[in-house]
Amino acid sequence: MENGELRKILEVKNLSVSYGKKVAIKNVNFSLKEQELLGFIGADGAGKSSTLHAIAGVLSFEGEIVYKNYVYHSPKEAEKIKYEISLMPQGLGLVLYDFLSVKEHFDFFRDLRGLKKDKEYENRLLKMAGLYEFQNRLAGNLSGGMRQKLSLILSLLPRPKLLILDEPTTGVDPISRAELWNIVNEMREDGMSAIISTAYMSEANKMDKLMLFDEGEIIASGTSEELIESIKDYTYEGEIENNKCFSFNNRTYSLKPLNLKKASPTLEGIFFVNALKKGKKPIVINVPEKDIEIPEIIVNAKCLTKKFGEFIADNCIDLKLKKSEILGLLGANGAGKTTFIKMLLGLYPIDEGELYLLGKRIRSYEDRLTLKSKIGYVSQKFSLYKDLSIKENLEYFAKMHSLSVGETKRKIEEFARMFEFEEYLNAFPKEVPLGINQRFSLAAALLHEPVVLFLDEPTSGVDTVARSAFWRLLRKLKENTGISILITTHYMNEAEYCDRVAVLKRGVKIVDDEVKNLHKKYPRLDFEEIFLQIYKENQ
Amino acid sequence: MKMSAILKKEFLVFFRNAGLVIFILYAFTLDIYIAGKGIKVTPRNVSIGYVNEADNLIVNKIISSFHKPQFKQPKMFLNEKALKNAIYNRKIIVGIVFDKQFVNNLISKKQAKLQVLIDSTAAAQAEVTLIYLQNILMKFENNLNLPAKINIIKLFNPNSNTKWFMSLSELMSNITMLGLVLIAVVFVREKENGTWDIMLLMPVRGSLIIFSKILSQVLILMAGITISVGLIVFGVFNTPINGNLLDFYLISFLFSFAIGGIALVIAAVSKTILEVGHLTIVIMLPLIFLSGAWTPLSAMNPFIQYLSYLSPLRYYIQATQDIFFRGSGFFDLLPYFFAELFMAMVLFYIGYKKIGKLF
Amino acid sequence: MKISVLRAYLKKEIIDLIRNKMIILIYLIPTMILILFGFGIKLEVTHARTVIIDNDHSKLSLEIINKFSRTKYFDVRVENLSYKKALHLIQTNKADVIIIIPPSFSRNLYKGAEIGVYIDGSFPLRAVTLQGYIEKLLINGFNIHLPIKIENRNFFNESLRDYNAVVPGLFGLIFLVVPASLAAIMIVKEKEMGTIFNFYSAPIKKVEFIISKLLPPFLFHSLNIFILLLLAFYVFNVPFRGNFFIFWVVSEIYILISVGIGLLVSIITSTQIAALVLSVIITIIPGFLYSGILMPISSMDKESFIEAHIFPVMYYNHLVYDSFLIGQGFKASENVLYFFILCIYAVTLILVGTFFVKKAIK
Ligand SMILES: Nc1ncnc2c1ncn2[C@@H]1O[C@H](COP(=O)(O)OP(=O)(O)OP(=O)(O)O)[C@@H](O)[C@H]1O
Ligand SMILES: [Mg+2]
Repeated sequence: MENGELRKILEVKNLSVSYGKKVAIKNVNFSLKEQELLGFIGADGAGKSSTLHAIAGVLSFEGEIVYKNYVYHSPKEAEKIKYEISLMPQGLGLVLYDFLSVKEHFDFFRDLRGLKKDKEYENRLLKMAGLYEFQNRLAGNLSGGMRQKLSLILSLLPRPKLLILDEPTTGVDPISRAELWNIVNEMREDGMSAIISTAYMSEANKMDKLMLFDEGEIIASGTSEELIESIKDYTYEGEIENNKCFSFNNRTYSLKPLNLKKASPTLEGIFFVNALKKGKKPIVINVPEKDIEIPEIIVNAKCLTKKFGEFIADNCIDLKLKKSEILGLLGANGAGKTTFIKMLLGLYPIDEGELYLLGKRIRSYEDRLTLKSKIGYVSQKFSLYKDLSIKENLEYFAKMHSLSVGETKRKIEEFARMFEFEEYLNAFPKEVPLGINQRFSLAAALLHEPVVLFLDEPTSGVDTVARSAFWRLLRKLKENTGISILITTHYMNEAEYCDRVAVLKRGVKIVDDEVKNLHKKYPRLDFEEIFLQIYKENQ
Repeated sequence: MKMSAILKKEFLVFFRNAGLVIFILYAFTLDIYIAGKGIKVTPRNVSIGYVNEADNLIVNKIISSFHKPQFKQPKMFLNEKALKNAIYNRKIIVGIVFDKQFVNNLISKKQAKLQVLIDSTAAAQAEVTLIYLQNILMKFENNLNLPAKINIIKLFNPNSNTKWFMSLSELMSNITMLGLVLIAVVFVREKENGTWDIMLLMPVRGSLIIFSKILSQVLILMAGITISVGLIVFGVFNTPINGNLLDFYLISFLFSFAIGGIALVIAAVSKTILEVGHLTIVIMLPLIFLSGAWTPLSAMNPFIQYLSYLSPLRYYIQATQDIFFRGSGFFDLLPYFFAELFMAMVLFYIGYKKIGKLF
Repeated sequence: MKISVLRAYLKKEIIDLIRNKMIILIYLIPTMILILFGFGIKLEVTHARTVIIDNDHSKLSLEIINKFSRTKYFDVRVENLSYKKALHLIQTNKADVIIIIPPSFSRNLYKGAEIGVYIDGSFPLRAVTLQGYIEKLLINGFNIHLPIKIENRNFFNESLRDYNAVVPGLFGLIFLVVPASLAAIMIVKEKEMGTIFNFYSAPIKKVEFIISKLLPPFLFHSLNIFILLLLAFYVFNVPFRGNFFIFWVVSEIYILISVGIGLLVSIITSTQIAALVLSVIITIIPGFLYSGILMPISSMDKESFIEAHIFPVMYYNHLVYDSFLIGQGFKASENVLYFFILCIYAVTLILVGTFFVKKAIK
């Protein structure tokens, strides 16, 4: 094997990081070879980001890191190697300046790192990210995924020897994700190594080696085959309701033998098996059956159009959301999903078209006012008050929706258990990982038992176990109370949980069909493949 | 119920911003104290020097009558050149040259002309200093017999205690600034942190949100005023109040809402807190200067005097000075109350319309 | 020092300031402060609203009324009011001074005659000044022989103009407060928004970052030196007797000190609002107190005198007043000393700032 000849370029020895009293990672050890792709996977808050920051030399740590014979123990000592390292931190375009255009970002980062302009390479990056046509758009006006992609290509700009990406594909559409891998692989040929943390298991599969983080430690490592192999005894086919096993994506995981057909495991399973081994149980989701009077058609949008100057973000989109239906709104980054939802909510004025919500024609502020308590919304850039603790945030939302004190208490406890954020209740949003934050936003949107939910990428950046709980909750809500849900996501396998999907492309609706019909139409393809197929067919 | 939820939230957010709380406390206490204590406008401690060319004892007698608090211990210089030099290097402000002729004339009871060199960089100070000198010299000749007694009474503040005036002026300037900043920030913070959309989707009327938010900050302001008046104005400086404190609270309350209206306009046009800060400066400075906080309105250009009728601060300052110093009663103050109420309604309406568009 | 890093930040900062229109404020605020304070701070007292109640109607009383009417200091109205009504005029802020000449005043001269003067004491400096004028005028009016007559020669501001006194002092205030807050905010903004990460993770030196961040506010405000100078000349007609070059260099150094203070503020704050507030607080009070507008440094009591020497404002103001009104320049050894003290301030502040800036997540 040629692997034998490759040099070791990074060695991490006894790495520990703590924030005040809280220990984020303890005694992590691993090494990385030239051209190797190392994947970090693990639950939210497991310590992946802290490890990545320490290696990139932006965070103080204990222990020792050796990069190509150069030893460093602190950010200060790491200065010398920053020429060869590039880090992209987590969060939707955190490192971007809202007032600079895409092109100006390239100028800035090129100058910052003292690079020569390589027109061809830069264009290639821009095209990969689908930003080539939008070079003059201000970063503040890009869609969430577009921002993410811009930070991503900016971190590729210096052609680093060691690339460190922290959940780079969160909120990025499947088309761009595929293209990203092409670029990474190409740069690897030139000798680049990379450490990438990811929540997409299909991406984790492409890594040379994976490390599973859990509560600040690496609890398993190996190739994805090895990791998958380790859980094959616990994986069964289908999904069942049982409080001793987890089910997600057509698989059930159980430590005790079940009377079910064994199935070929997937990487995702490792999180569930790990959770089971630690004695965690799936949360029993209790949604009492309720009969709320809900009209047959919840949302009826007729030819809704939104323009930003010359640019048409949404072009005459018709959409119906029926009672007790989960509708997935899919589309590439910048296709107009968020814009569409914001029009439904009245956060953007509607330029053209008619909108009926819960059977009522919406024309004015007054029309919306009475409907607000029936709507729940989670925005893409999750938003909670950062000066209020999680609990205070939830209490505030509850009060605004006229929940009684007792009810508020009960609900908060219930959601905290269901989404596993009990230990964070008194923390402030800034102090907790992204994925955990996303969960509070969800809880805040659900507290007042809305009739219709608008969820804009609620599961981006949320770990697998929490996503499974979340989807079970949505299904239960729908089945037992008959509410409707409009949801956007870039996890194409989540589309399987929807009843129907509408696909947008460049502001135009290209498909609107039931999921089962699509499967019939494109047999033997998983949903990601179906999505790519649909996009290809509608050039 | 919903209003109390908003109030509670705003209070929590306020108190969690330690920096802001400290600043507000500072502005209502220490800052007022420093302004009252530190900014002395009437000249004290004037540094003075002299040359005794005549070398006569009578000069020493005159010199000994320059003393604290108006004058520092006079410094002697050898000749006029050294004296001038000291003025040029701003070591002293006043230089007196006692020449032979002066002494001779003084002794022979002719009118003696005294040469006084004065650094008039600070014009007003120089003028008052000259008045001091004049008075001292006049009293020096104790046989001076005035035909009539001049009985001067400075009403309201007989000892010209600058602390009273300065602390109140500073307090009103600070209330104006804080009113603008605090109220604009409660809105713009939501924009900057991306919680604006969430706020819009709350099942309450925009008007309730706007009103509750403003009320929360007005209450904080009133608390600050109470601390300031209690601790510094009354506590440290012993400022007398000749009118009724309740009147002061009433006018302060009305004024907060007038200022709130302007703050709403700032909030509507600003995207970031930084913009709020700068717009506040741009609006606050003319407001304070055109309203008679530091210079009496009657001394200003007539055009500015007319313009100042549009400033809510004008009525606030006048009412406050009347309440504290001139001791006006409720009925004397009625015009101010009505004017302030009117300003509050107009400005609030404009601000409300402006920010209401965003809801 | 890499030029490209400098270019990167400079370009970005300029685009930012232009796109969010802050550039207008950078130039508007100093100009506005100069104009408003310049015109607004009226320490000289004129046109005091004076009501004279003449119960004597004698030649002397008419003489006194005339004396008051002829000066620009008093706007005289002669009215026939009761004592109580007259006082009410002051109480309702309709008059500043009331002079009551009692009946048979001129007949009782040297026989216990008394003249009553009431001054609104709410504005103390005004009250003291008015008191002085009134005494002088009245004594003058009595036409008596004074043993000593003061012959004063005014230096530097011969015509006793308020503008000459106030406007130069404002330079020290403006160039302390405004560049400091701009610099502090521009650095803290990166911290608050998270974009400081670009600095953490890129191979650039601390010094490079600091210079790049301080340069824009420094350059922007350098232009303000000229704008304010022109305003002082053409709007306020303040004379300029010193050496322009010295004034210019000293002002640039002073702005450097100010952005250095901004740098220190940015190290201890993490939100823009806190940075704005803190930088304004720590600069505005010394900037105003030790500006020399209100009180000459030499006339301060010991405590304030020492305090004044701690802040850079005093040294700068000394040189500014020298440039405008005195014109000694570097002929005076004191001015040279102060110039060096300012240089030391600038270097120290920026070195200390550089030392405390950390290139890592806290
Ligand atoms: N204020 C604005 N000004 C100009 N263009 C805008 C503005 N807001 C959004 N856009 C553009 O509208 C398009 C649609 O944006 P939108 O946020 O709806 O995309 P999206 O489908 O939600 O994408 P993502 O999956 O990345 O979240 C994008 O091209 C975006 O750049
Ligand atoms: Mg979106």
